[in-house]
Amino acid sequence: MKPRLHPFTALTAAASAAVVTTAAAYWPLSVAMALAAVFLAVRRGVAGRVLPAAAVILTPLCLSLLVLHGLFFPEGQTVLARWGPARVTAEGLGFALELGTRTTACVLVFLLFSFAVSVPDLVSALAGRGIPPQFGFVLASTLTLLPAVAVRLDRIRQAQETRGMVVRRGLLSRLGALRLQMVPLVLALIDDAGSRAQALDARGFGSPGPRTSYREVADPPGQRRFRTAALLFATAAVAGRIVASWPAGVPS
Amino acid sequence: MSQPALTVTAPGQAAGRRRRLLEIAGAAAIAATYIFLVLTQPVDIANGPASFSALVALGGFLLGAVLLIVAVLPVLPTSTVVLIPVALVLNVVLGQLMGSTGLPFYLDAIGTVLIAVLAGPAAGAATGALSSIVWSFFNPTVLPFAAGAALIGFLAGMAARGGLFRRFYFAPIAGFVTGILAGVVSAPIAAFVFGGTSGLGTGAIVSAFRAMGDTLLAAITKQALISDPMDKAIVFTIAALLAYALPRRTTFQFPFVRRYRVLAGKAPAAPEA
Amino acid sequence: MTAITRTALQIRIEAFTFHGEGTPVLSSASVSVTPGSLTAVLGGSGSGKSTLGKLMAGWLRAGHAGAFRGSLELDGTLLEFRGAPDDPRINPAEWSRRVAFVPQDPAAMLSSVRATVAEELAFGLENRATPRDDMLRAVGRTAARIGLSDLLDRDPATLSGGELRRLAVGCAVIAEPDILILDEPLASLDAAGAAQVEDLVRSLRGTGTGVVLLSQAADRLAGEATHWTVLDGGTVTAAGTPAQLSGSAELERAGVIGVRGPGILGPPVSGPAVSGPGVLGPGVTAGARGPGPVPVAAPGPGPAALELHGVGFGYGQDPRRPGTATQARVLRDVDFAVQRGEIIAVTGPNGAGKSTLLRHFNGLLRPSAGDVRVCGRSIAGVPVGTVAASIGLLFQHPRDQLFERTVLREAAFGLRQLFGKAEAEGKARAALAAVGLSGTGEVHPAELSASQQRLLALATVLAREPAVLALDEPTVGLDRHGLEALQAAVVRAAARGAAVVMVTHDLAYARMNAHRVLELTDGRLSEI
Repeated sequence: MKPRLHPFTALTAAASAAVVTTAAAYWPLSVAMALAAVFLAVRRGVAGRVLPAAAVILTPLCLSLLVLHGLFFPEGQTVLARWGPARVTAEGLGFALELGTRTTACVLVFLLFSFAVSVPDLVSALAGRGIPPQFGFVLASTLTLLPAVAVRLDRIRQAQETRGMVVRRGLLSRLGALRLQMVPLVLALIDDAGSRAQALDARGFGSPGPRTSYREVADPPGQRRFRTAALLFATAAVAGRIVASWPAGVPS
Repeated sequence: MSQPALTVTAPGQAAGRRRRLLEIAGAAAIAATYIFLVLTQPVDIANGPASFSALVALGGFLLGAVLLIVAVLPVLPTSTVVLIPVALVLNVVLGQLMGSTGLPFYLDAIGTVLIAVLAGPAAGAATGALSSIVWSFFNPTVLPFAAGAALIGFLAGMAARGGLFRRFYFAPIAGFVTGILAGVVSAPIAAFVFGGTSGLGTGAIVSAFRAMGDTLLAAITKQALISDPMDKAIVFTIAALLAYALPRRTTFQFPFVRRYRVLAGKAPAAPEA
Repeated sequence: MTAITRTALQIRIEAFTFHGEGTPVLSSASVSVTPGSLTAVLGGSGSGKSTLGKLMAGWLRAGHAGAFRGSLELDGTLLEFRGAPDDPRINPAEWSRRVAFVPQDPAAMLSSVRATVAEELAFGLENRATPRDDMLRAVGRTAARIGLSDLLDRDPATLSGGELRRLAVGCAVIAEPDILILDEPLASLDAAGAAQVEDLVRSLRGTGTGVVLLSQAADRLAGEATHWTVLDGGTVTAAGTPAQLSGSAELERAGVIGVRGPGILGPPVSGPAVSGPGVLGPGVTAGARGPGPVPVAAPGPGPAALELHGVGFGYGQDPRRPGTATQARVLRDVDFAVQRGEIIAVTGPNGAGKSTLLRHFNGLLRPSAGDVRVCGRSIAGVPVGTVAASIGLLFQHPRDQLFERTVLREAAFGLRQLFGKAEAEGKARAALAAVGLSGTGEVHPAELSASQQRLLALATVLAREPAVLALDEPTVGLDRHGLEALQAAVVRAAARGAAVVMVTHDLAYARMNAHRVLELTDGRLSEI
């Protein structure tokens, strides 16, 4: 078993990779980065969740880019084909390729992070670095709520069908049915949140002041050095990009 | 060992000033980034993807969103903090439910607007920004839009404070105006970071403007001006419907609702002591 | 610092009104607690017990949650509230460290952001910046006390009802409060779970913690109390020792279950009929005095109202829990018929598939073998919403079923299509009257008490005048008034000619109120 990565190490690595990819704007690098993310996802056994999630996000985005820039790119010079107002240009296709691979790499890298990280470790690490505890709460509570809400919505739907609600085809009928499902859901969620707030206040969550953490997250010095290096590298990449393409006409 | 007090005093003013400064800094970062991007947008994107603009857009907008969160989050009462996950879940779940009706809109801000109506503009802005950041856990492409989401929450809260949710026909109008502003602010992200839009339908509209020779930013801004106001008008209407369907004990537990008389016809039967 | 100090808590309420409401939920009420004592606050659903408990524990705060006139006194510190802006503001964290509250729904106590039982227990200590070594010791000590030492690494979401309740109590007592307020601590617990909580309360009292019990049943735990306070309509109507108050008119009027006192309640119903979530506290059935089974109405002409022929069913693999084996068949070859006017109770251990059986009646679940017939016609392929015209099904959680703005609109929902515009409102009002909710037509359903919400859900079913009435654990959460209204409504529906099927684990209730009692074990139904 591999030693566990500190959540910040993983986060820093993901963010630096995304920043460097964006700054470099070089599609072979983007492709390499995406492949590396896929490789790591397979190694860590999370590919089964990362890849479908990425596909849902990236498929419409990449198709949209291809249609948009592949067919309509007024700045393009090298016309490969033409149908009416649509012109396929080499520059447009290149632009779609650049942006598509860049977004793909960033999405894969971040999804790898979120599916591989241990959320309790992340929340604990965030709280230990002076990040307001409310942030960790929102993150972890959302992850607990999502599956619970799906179950509850199912229960509501069953209860309402039992009361004779037949959802017909047609927009108005479906919107009406939707309103009836939303009201009990929203009401229950807000009521539950109200009592949870009282409980959290009673347990000292709302009080200012220092906190301690029960969960211990190991942070070896090697990982700290790696984070510093990754951040420096990302900063250098950004600086290089800014120097290289500081727009003309803006005083620097 | 001294016992902590059983009672607390009202919060002081000094902390409030620091918080206000952070809020202003956050808003300024977002505004400055937007202006900078519009002024310096690459004349000829054919020279390569707008990497510089993408970095500026990402950095500026994220910095603004983070400053707003840092300013607002620690002073939000717990009763509001627990609503942020609820808002986020509602954004996702209600967005998906609405999507199942086949309407061509995103409708992914219902929860944010509802919380803004109940808890005010600061809570709305924090909810918008935070829900983008947390949701990026599952979909990293929403992260760059955190500033736009914060703006939507903030404007919804301002509309509620101004009484626009007391009359039913004002809610969609407030949503329409919010949609214009939010669409314009988010357009540079779509243009420079993603180079287009995430949907095929919206992509087609952008294509049409591009075919007429618009720059990418102009085309995406125009597309946003077509889709977003309508979308937000619907979102505000649904949020208003939900707010009015809630029982009074639930809505009146929020000081913001009581203080600014956000919802019509819901004054207590007897004057408060 | 020791847990035992001479602390006493006293609350005196002139009036407490939630924001946005005209009438106070509590008025003219006072309660005081001494160290090591057990005080029971008894009252029906909606009597204001939970509000009182939350006010005492700082969960509801003056000015913040509502307008409060009265006073709170803790350990010599007296706080006077006049409902003015310069009233003292309670520090909830510090107040709750000394006066802890455990809500009726134990899940509401949990932070929902901690991954293990141990971390959940430590949450309150982390927020008070307790050093980690002290935290480890406190967690170990508390876990031993609440009997969860073996479960420290479990995800709180996977705990059973009884374990969850004890975890919630543990979260409250880890800070060693002087006073612990428990809201319906035995609700939804089986006999074993209830006994564990009772033992926990005894051991806490032994170390000097003053315990306040909020309950709508004068059960065995309440019988151990040194002092009873009866709450009715937000006002204290009687106070004294259990001996003085047992069988008093005030207790009866308040809707408390088991009004004849703890002496005659006897041991809890045991055996397979009592288990799992949704079981009333021990002895609750003793208070449900029904008119006894009604004579079966003459079977109407035509087929049985509901027939199951050789129904078999098994759940597939649970998609939410990958890795669990495909479950065994829940129902095997179930044959069963209910005539018009007949009342049938189905009992069985928790997890036997009682609710699964009920969901087959209207097609929410479809049998993998066999056939379900309603009024002689097979429902195979008929949408649930259509079957609903003939079958009224009442679920356990009324909040999922209610969605309208007012009680009257709720009861009238969907009636127009069935009876026409002219009759719809009359039918709705009649159904509300049948469950004793006549005066509440314009109230928001969510503002009713828990007991009334269940009755409203029942009224929405009754208003449709279905041929079959199927009720899932109808007695859970009802106070005595509610139980009486339920019984009257069921008897009347049967007299009208409806077939009634109740699923309940409450064997005593089933025997008292049904013509026939069937038991579901190993997926088969048998008459007992």
